[in-house]
Formats: sequence, structure tokens, C-alpha cells
Amino acid sequence: MRALGLALVIVVGGASPCGLAAQDVAARLDGRVTADVVRTVQGIARDAAARGLPVEPLIQKAIEGGAKGVPADRVIAAVRVLAARLDEARSALREAGTPAPSPEALESGAYALSAGLNARQVRDLGRVSRPSYDPALTLRVAATLTALGVPAQQGLQLMTHMIQAGRGPNDLLDLPNEVQVGMARGATAAEAAEGLDIGEEGEGRHNQQGQQGEHRPSPHEP
Amino acid sequence: MTTYHPSVKRLLDGELRLGDLPPELRAEGEDARRLVAALDREPVTLSRAVDAQVMAAVRHHAKSPARRIWRWVAAPREVELRLRVRPWALWGGALAAAAGVTLLLTRAAAPVPSGAVATHVAARNVVFVRFVLYAPGAKRVTVAGTFNQWDQTAAPLVPAGTDGVWTTTLALPVGQHQYAFVVDGRRWVADPAAPAVDDGFGRRNSVVAVTTQGARTL
Amino acid sequence: MESRDAATDGEIVRAVLAGDVELYAALVERYRDRFARYAVRMLGSHDAGEDAVQDALVRAFDRLADCRDPDKFAGWLFLILRNRCFAEQRRHQREGHMPEDAADAVAAPERSDGAVERRESAQALARAVGQLTPQQREAFVLKHVEGLSYEEIARLTGATVASLKMRMHRAYDRLREHMKEHLR
Repeated sequence: MRALGLALVIVVGGASPCGLAAQDVAARLDGRVTADVVRTVQGIARDAAARGLPVEPLIQKAIEGGAKGVPADRVIAAVRVLAARLDEARSALREAGTPAPSPEALESGAYALSAGLNARQVRDLGRVSRPSYDPALTLRVAATLTALGVPAQQGLQLMTHMIQAGRGPNDLLDLPNEVQVGMARGATAAEAAEGLDIGEEGEGRHNQQGQQGEHRPSPHEP
Repeated sequence: MTTYHPSVKRLLDGELRLGDLPPELRAEGEDARRLVAALDREPVTLSRAVDAQVMAAVRHHAKSPARRIWRWVAAPREVELRLRVRPWALWGGALAAAAGVTLLLTRAAAPVPSGAVATHVAARNVVFVRFVLYAPGAKRVTVAGTFNQWDQTAAPLVPAGTDGVWTTTLALPVGQHQYAFVVDGRRWVADPAAPAVDDGFGRRNSVVAVTTQGARTL
Repeated sequence: MESRDAATDGEIVRAVLAGDVELYAALVERYRDRFARYAVRMLGSHDAGEDAVQDALVRAFDRLADCRDPDKFAGWLFLILRNRCFAEQRRHQREGHMPEDAADAVAAPERSDGAVERRESAQALARAVGQLTPQQREAFVLKHVEGLSYEEIARLTGATVASLKMRMHRAYDRLREHMKEHLR
């Protein structure tokens, strides 16, 4: 069956991308899920492709459901949910000022939504990431922080402070590991993240008397 | 705000003595020291009731069934996957010496392993990632994920030296992966040491990002 | 001497993990007061400090399996306590109150000559320390109350010596500002 599917792909050649995607879906899912799941996911994928959303994550999710022995209706439901999340991520990133988010950014956005960020938080992070940071990266970091147990808003705040302070992408990528190191020492995820938040160093927030937080050069300083 | 002279601050830090300060700063230095000297440094003794209260809580917690399950799941702390390892620590296999670090990474020139889906970007760099699970009493443990199409037979773990610890090392292409362990062919278990996301089917998947610097929690 | 007292922290931790829960009392006794001063100074009141130490000891038990080096139980317990203190301080900030009884944490004088004045200074300083940011307060307490070196504080807290000095020096200036009235 699969060989036939691939052969059809070769033959069809210059057909529309939608058509190719459908064949690709069948080829990839054949033997892994039931026929009606294949058909339904083909339809979902076709719609997604037509809307400019990436199809690969949908295929992966269906394969995963099949491998886990999940009933057909739940596989379909999960694929639908993922397609909806990709769509939601796109709206959020568009609102953030990115008219054509990359497929990676959309996948990261969908991952962030599934990890527990809401659309507004995805939008806010997308906004603060522009123009210097790739939202595909920042969203992934924020999602992973949330997956570790850092409350979504707190993770967003931590990342915003890091981005506004001009910290490099590697520093952002290190955040989840740093949180885990803190957790291994006995902190909760939230506590570990709080310990990393450089917003604390700004001082202004904690100063009861509203003094300027930053060190003012004194006449004595060289 | 008037600030102390930097030398006075170093005096307070203990790096300078009063005699080291220029004469015009000595008064300021003495003031500063007087301020800090006013600190109450008396040791604090807590009431003996603390002991009793702590032990009462401890006995209560020790009994709870949730704690027994937690201990099964949390025991892998000793085999934690996700400590970040500096790249320079990877070469030469010195990793294993570090207590508690079980993430083993080397860079290999090997091609993408067979079974990788053709639509993935072919990775020139492949990173070996070691997976570990503490599952005493299990008869079979495998790891399945996006890197092997969730095939629960493709990547079996083998018992490691320590009782109940299972391990395997896989060559993973660069990118973000989700995975879970499969115990005895029927129980899907997320990696307790990794961040977990909802898999959409009522369970949790673990996440790892493989980069050319190694695997990280992402 | 009781055999219990002769055991190392590591031995006790391993025994507790193996199921001898009652042995944990030895660790409680050993460490109950050791970090009490730090907690009281960080949180500004004896009661708050006592609560924090108690919670930290219970939490350390709950997570005992996570203690990767049982022989370093003390340092690990300290970090749990430290996180607990920071969390408590954040809660205070959110609820908008600074501990008014910071001054009550100061020991009562035993003699009367000059002691009252000293006590008042100490109280004023305690209030001033309570106005620092949590990180500044910790650096200050660890160095000037607990007597640790910058290197020791760096090892304990994971901060760099450079950032600790920065915090400390800001703390000195802020304390000076707060105490200006009192020193006059």
C-alpha cells in the first residue's frame, strides 16, 4: 500500500501543493492508523495547507496517536486541536506584528498554547521578541518553562526582562536548564525562575520610597 | 542620595583597614563602621516545639501513599537526564565521572539513523543522547518519540549496572523532540526529569531539544 | 555519647531514605538553630523566621530523595530555606506590607548603660535592612551577620562575587540613607 502511495506521488509530480500534501499524508499514515483516520486527517491537513499552516505537526500527531493505540476519534480530535492551535498561534503572532510567521514559529506557538500559555501571552511574547529575537525560539523557551511548572505569566515576565536587557539567545535557551538546576536544589519551578529573574536587579520595583534603582555615579567614582 | 566613597565600601567589605584610608575619608569610614557595628548579631534559638512539629509533619508525610508513588517517580533524580553539560566536558568521555550527570553526548559523523522520516531535514550533525529511567520491577522498557515515529519497539533500554535503572543511547538529529518511555509494552511514562506537555490523548510527553551543543531541556 | 550524635549527615539521610524516619529528628536538632538567625534577619521577625525554618525542615524531608549528595545535607537544606525566605518576601511585597516588627527581632539589652541606645540603633538598622531588596538584604546578612566571605556567599547562592559586591555596595548606600535621621 505504501509503495503505491509513493508511486502516485512520483507520478503526480507537478500537481498542486494541496494535492501533494494529501498524498503525502496518506503515504505517511498508511498502516499506522485506521482508514477513516487517514481520510479525516487528510481533510484537516488539506484545510491547514490551504490556510498556509504547516502540515507536518499534524501528521506527527496522528502517527503518535496510532502508535499509542489511541481510539480513532481521539486521534482525530487531537489533530483537530493541534490544527486549531496552529491557527490560533498564527493569529496571535499576526497581532504581534509578524504578518507571515514561519512554520517553526507557528509550531512553537502551538507548543506554547498546549503547554499552557494563552493567546494573549503568545501575542505579548511575539511582540516583545520583535525584531531581534526569533519567536520560534522565544516561544519554545516560554513553553518549556511552563511545562516545567513555572506559571505562564511569570515565565513570560522573566523572558521579557531578559529580552529587554538584551540577553543573547543562548542565555534564553539556558533558562529551562537553570530552572531545573534550581529545582534539583529544592526550589519549586516558580521559585527557581524568580531567582533567575534579572528584573529584581532593577531595584525600582522594591524600593518603597521610589528612589531611582540604578547606581548613580558619585563624585568619587573614577 | 549621598553615597559612600568606594574605598569606604571596601573598608566595610573588610578589604581595607581604617589606617589604609586617606585622612579625609577616615571620618566617613568610622561612621560607616559604626553603622554596621550596630547590627544585632545575637544567635537565635528557636523553641523546642519546632522539633516536635517538624517530626509530626514528617511522620504524617511518610505515611502518605502519594509519597510512596512520588518516591518511585522521583528516585531518578540520581539519574537526572537534563543537567546542562558544557561542550568542552563532552569530549573524551569525562562526563560519566561527574556524580549524578547521566547525559552523555558525543558528536558523531554518523548519518541519520535508518527509520528517520524522509520529510525531516537531514541532519549533518547527529548527537548521541542517553535516556535513563528508574523502573524497578519492569520487564521491558523502550523509549518512543518523534525521532522514531513513536515506535515502541524501536529503541529498547537495557538494565544498567544499578538495580532498577534502565538506559539506552540514541543518535538523534538536531531539533526538538517529544518522547515517552514505554514500560512492559503497555504503560506510557513521561520522563520525570524532563518538562512535560499534554500529548492531546490524556497523557504527557517529555520534551528535549537536541542542538549542536548537545541536548537541552527545551 | 549517643550513637545518633556520632552519625554523619550522610549516614542519617541514607538511613531515613531507607525507611528509618525517626532518625530525621537528629537532623532537625542539628540544624534547627543553625540557620535560624539567617531566617529571622531575612524575614524581620522571630516568628516568621521560625516558621520558615520549620517549613524548610519539613520540605527537606519531603524531597530527601532529591538530595544528590547526602553528606552535603546542610548546604542543601540552606538552599531550601533560602528559597522559602525569598518566597515569603515576595508574598510580603505582593501584599504590600513590610514587616513592622523588624525591630522586635532585635535582642533585648541585658544591662542598662548605653544598652538602650544601642538597642535603638540596632532596631533602626534592622528596619533599614528590611527596606533593602531581598538580594541586597541576603548579601548583607550573610556577610555582616553570618560573617561569610564573598567567595563563600557566592558558592552558597550561585551569584558571582562581582554581582554580590554590587548588591552590597548599593545596600551600604541605602542603609546610610535610611539611617541618616537616626545617626544625627
